[in-house]
Amino acid sequence: MKLHRIAAVILRHTCEARHNLNRITEMVYWPVQNIVVWGFFTVYLARDNHLRPGAISFLLGAAILWGMFYAFQRDLATGFLEELWSRNLVNLFSTPLSILEYLTGLIIVNLLKAMIGMLAAALTAWVCYAYDFFPKFVEFIPFMLNLALFALAIGVIIIGLIIRYTTRIQTLAWSFAGLLMPFSCVFYPLSSLPRYLHPLAWALPTTHSFEGMRQAIAGGGFSMLHFGWGITLDAVYFMFAIPIFHKMFESARSRGLLVKLE
Amino acid sequence: MHILVEVQHLTKIYGNFRVVDDVSFFVRTGEIVGLLGPSGAGKTTTLHMMLGLISPSAGSVRIFGKRFEENRAEILEKVSFTAPYVQFPIRLTVFENLMVFARLYNIREPSSKILELLRMFEIEDLKGKPVSRLSSGENTRVGLCKALLNDPKLLLMDEPTAYLDPQLSIQVKKILLNMQQSCGMTILYTSHNMAEVEEMCSRIIFLNRGRVLATGTPIEVTQLILKENRSEPALREVFLHVARRQSNEAA
Repeated sequence: MKLHRIAAVILRHTCEARHNLNRITEMVYWPVQNIVVWGFFTVYLARDNHLRPGAISFLLGAAILWGMFYAFQRDLATGFLEELWSRNLVNLFSTPLSILEYLTGLIIVNLLKAMIGMLAAALTAWVCYAYDFFPKFVEFIPFMLNLALFALAIGVIIIGLIIRYTTRIQTLAWSFAGLLMPFSCVFYPLSSLPRYLHPLAWALPTTHSFEGMRQAIAGGGFSMLHFGWGITLDAVYFMFAIPIFHKMFESARSRGLLVKLE
Repeated sequence: MHILVEVQHLTKIYGNFRVVDDVSFFVRTGEIVGLLGPSGAGKTTTLHMMLGLISPSAGSVRIFGKRFEENRAEILEKVSFTAPYVQFPIRLTVFENLMVFARLYNIREPSSKILELLRMFEIEDLKGKPVSRLSSGENTRVGLCKALLNDPKLLLMDEPTAYLDPQLSIQVKKILLNMQQSCGMTILYTSHNMAEVEEMCSRIIFLNRGRVLATGTPIEVTQLILKENRSEPALREVFLHVARRQSNEAA
């Protein structure tokens, strides 16, 4: 791994983000819009005293963290799609750049973008709804780490699948996180799900992050149980993601797809 | 002259179709070699396998005396590739795009190197223009600038002058010949412009249906394929002869 090559990938995607209004919109507009909607919803519930204590914090905190998770996973995949849409893959991979260096650069840029989006969402929640996300920030960091690692594992698998099955399946880049959302207990506790869905929800690191976040907001302290489950599951997903990606990449190279992808 | 590229028994099979079939050739340091053949002969696939973009079904590629698969990064530091069908991210400016590649190759003083190349191809005024606003000829010249950024020892080109008008084509040929003479750069390239190939190449590798049909100087290849004693190379005739024979066989 050479740093200058990773820096080149970062430069390429930073320039793209600067020139492409779609990327700026995705980075800031959606997280802010999401918070505005959830904010009004909590205001409405609070007015009629339908809210449990701490519910505003649960909802807005969850909206901010889910926004970060979704943006990171989506932007990883769309960042790679940018290369396909601009037919730049042959240019990139006829240089010494390795796929690992490429992915590292892509991860750094998109993690930064997801953090900017999260910051915008948190500031919106603070300014518009007096919800201060920042005092709990340190307690949230381990759960944010788990969310980021899971987004990364999913992103790597989706990029691998796009390399192998081409842009026919590009919609996965935007839709896959949505598929996980109902089972990730983002806005409601695990106990709200039907019992037969508990094993599925328990197998998702996202569920543990949001359960852990709710425990921290409720004053129950840091949940080692949920953090431990989350990080272990992330490791398991990575154990699948890396060989899947490698297999897809080599299969695409063997089928000559790297030079035909668009 | 010592051998820079050695391709041995290179084969690529997709299903039952042998796109490249047991191709072997070599390229010496400082040579300009033309990889010719009708469409579907396997030229582009051969170049892509030499760059590791497609993995071969069999055979090997050695560049600078090293096996490609084990020394990919080291080899590609000193190799470059350009083709008009390869594009750049369209929203980035010409300068930004070239800067990305300059960083990939870890070029010292990248800005001055980029400006020098833009000046050489007379497109310095395009540096701040997004790639989306370039004509195909301008895009080709930006691609050539990218290909020369790392002062390659080996330059692979797939129909580099396909989208250029005759005047620009002459300009590009001049630049490449200059660089070959001054830096000893080795060039392997494909083209359908036979007059250009006769002018540029010291040697030809003629492919047909994935196999090497003939190799040698343009005159040798002409004589070998046409089976006639000629005093001048006639690659256009050779090309048409092979293409006609192929369509007759198909019929």
